[in-house]
Amino acid sequence: MIKPRWIKPVIGASLVALTLSAQAADTIKIGVSGPLSGGSSPMGISMRDGVKLAADEINKAGGILGRKIELIERDDEAKNERGVQVTQDLINREHVVATLGFINTGVALASQRFYQQAKIPVIDNVATGSIITQQFLPPKYPKNYIFRIAASDKIQSHMIVDEAVVKRKFTKVAILADSTNYGQLGRQDLEKALAAKGMKPVAEEKFNIKDTDMTAQLLRAKEAGAQAILTYGIGPELAQIANGMAKLGWKVPMIGSWTLSMANYIDNAGKNGEGARMPQTFIQEPNTPKRKEFINAYIKAYHPAHDRIPSPVSAAQGYDSMYVLAAAIKQAGSADSSKIQQALENLNTKVNGVVTTYDHPFTSTNHEAIDVKDTVMGEVKDGFVVYAYENDKKGH
Amino acid sequence: MEILLQLILSGVALGMIYAVVAFGYQSTFATSGTLNFGQGEALMLGAMFGLTLAGDVMGGPYLNYWLMIPAVLIFGALQGMVVEAVGVRPAIKTKSEFGWIMSTIALGIIFRNVAENIWGKDDMPFPSPISSTPLHIFGASVLPMELMVDVGALLMMILVELFNRKTIYGKAVVATASDRDAAGLMGINTRMVITFSYALSSMSAAFAGVLIAPITLTGASMGAVLGLKAFAVAIIGGLNSGMGIIVGGIMLGIAETTTGFYLSTGYKDVPGLVLLLLVLAIKPSGLFGKTAIKKV
Repeated sequence: MIKPRWIKPVIGASLVALTLSAQAADTIKIGVSGPLSGGSSPMGISMRDGVKLAADEINKAGGILGRKIELIERDDEAKNERGVQVTQDLINREHVVATLGFINTGVALASQRFYQQAKIPVIDNVATGSIITQQFLPPKYPKNYIFRIAASDKIQSHMIVDEAVVKRKFTKVAILADSTNYGQLGRQDLEKALAAKGMKPVAEEKFNIKDTDMTAQLLRAKEAGAQAILTYGIGPELAQIANGMAKLGWKVPMIGSWTLSMANYIDNAGKNGEGARMPQTFIQEPNTPKRKEFINAYIKAYHPAHDRIPSPVSAAQGYDSMYVLAAAIKQAGSADSSKIQQALENLNTKVNGVVTTYDHPFTSTNHEAIDVKDTVMGEVKDGFVVYAYENDKKGH
Repeated sequence: MEILLQLILSGVALGMIYAVVAFGYQSTFATSGTLNFGQGEALMLGAMFGLTLAGDVMGGPYLNYWLMIPAVLIFGALQGMVVEAVGVRPAIKTKSEFGWIMSTIALGIIFRNVAENIWGKDDMPFPSPISSTPLHIFGASVLPMELMVDVGALLMMILVELFNRKTIYGKAVVATASDRDAAGLMGINTRMVITFSYALSSMSAAFAGVLIAPITLTGASMGAVLGLKAFAVAIIGGLNSGMGIIVGGIMLGIAETTTGFYLSTGYKDVPGLVLLLLVLAIKPSGLFGKTAIKKV
């Protein structure tokens, strides 16, 4: 059999083309894990959309190390067991190099151990439970793979107590917390923060998800002489607390964790919810060019109702987490998970995010990127969250 | 004293919410011996449908609040007929003892999923024509909306009771309820009566949904907890007593608010359920229920 003369170059060329296309298709896979359905979905969806926005921008600018980012999104439904399944899937089947996400403290605590075992870094960009980054500390574990870009409950509880006790001089406060992991861990942090000021709450009350009647809790707080209510819960029940207070004709300030900024609190409490204050890392206010650009891009891409980002904090932290991760991958020079972890702990480039500028955000002993100084007090006003203190608006 | 009054008033308001939902369980149980375990979902669908018509979701409002109510009643009745035709009639026909339990639960889950996809999963505020400024009674506060639930629920139960006593159709329902086979032999179309009772049950649930939505918030998952608590109320009060359901509801409501205040808010769901266990142990037919003698 006589081979035609052209066959060799053709085979050669097609082989080259094949390897080239294989290389172009070789994306950097990054997991995105959060509740895209259920009561926490406004946070999960905002976070995902923030991450997507950043990934699109990075890809348009040529990707990282000449490769495109590919986001693998998974819905953990805010359920612990679902979070574990999603985690296994992202690690073992999708082979992600890192994961961004976790909205719910409980889901994060249940799922993170698998990333730790697989030596894949996770940047928590919403979940706030204080122990999230403390699960796998050296020296017990050689390296901690869990990072966070969100204001931990430790920071938040201190800010809440500071607002109530130092700034507004209340001497008697009540704690109202829901019965979930989130609420009860937050309640402990609040107690500790109060104890540091030599105070004890005059009442500590619990409520369940979907509770509609808060009369008993509020009456107990009122009878104990509370001058303010410190809350740890999520939107719908927090709205019931505000509505319950209006019903009893007993109006004291509500100061609580960042969830008081959830749209389902603001909408369901209406005018009863005005004035509530909560720590925020990001407020939808275009007070810097970077923020203006981010807010406009978000609204243009996702068209949220009333041009209000469902959960601005989640969107901003999601957006920033993607950029911080991208910088780490670039510095690592490869998509190798443990090299990314090393790069995260020693990030040489400054990352200019919307929440803050990340200058060496993590070290081997500190995995919290957000500090007290990156967090401001927000206040519900006319259906939006605004800066509670005018000074923060300029300085933050 | 003021506090106790406040707790009782809030408890009554809460209890009447449970009672209106529980009322739906009763009307199907009486005629066919079956229950719609998707009662909570029927309530949610009614509230969601009402919100779509009179609220500002999906480009509304399309209808005035008061015109929305009859539309919701019709919607509820149709929904009940679907549940009966798809889930219950086959089970009754084949004399499947417990088939209706699974099929009504299954339908409830389907309805919830459909609702989540149409309206999303978030809780939304429901418009109310009534002022939300509380009224003060001897130092205790009540929302006008809560009073409307009480009045609406009582009115609904009275209307159904009058219908049963005064009209020929109502008598057919009562006859079917007391002895389905005998009623059938007397020429009453018992199958139709059962369909009707399901329509009535879902209609009352849908009405209850619209009634309570301004207080409880509206969302695809609003029916789940309410459906369960209302079921407890129906068991405590007795599945065949209208009076029992009101008393049972109020008892559970007051038990929840008073335990929350005097004992601990962490334990507020416990006494109601202890009450349920006690009733089941001592008087299984409910506080006001008649004991049915079942020949085996």
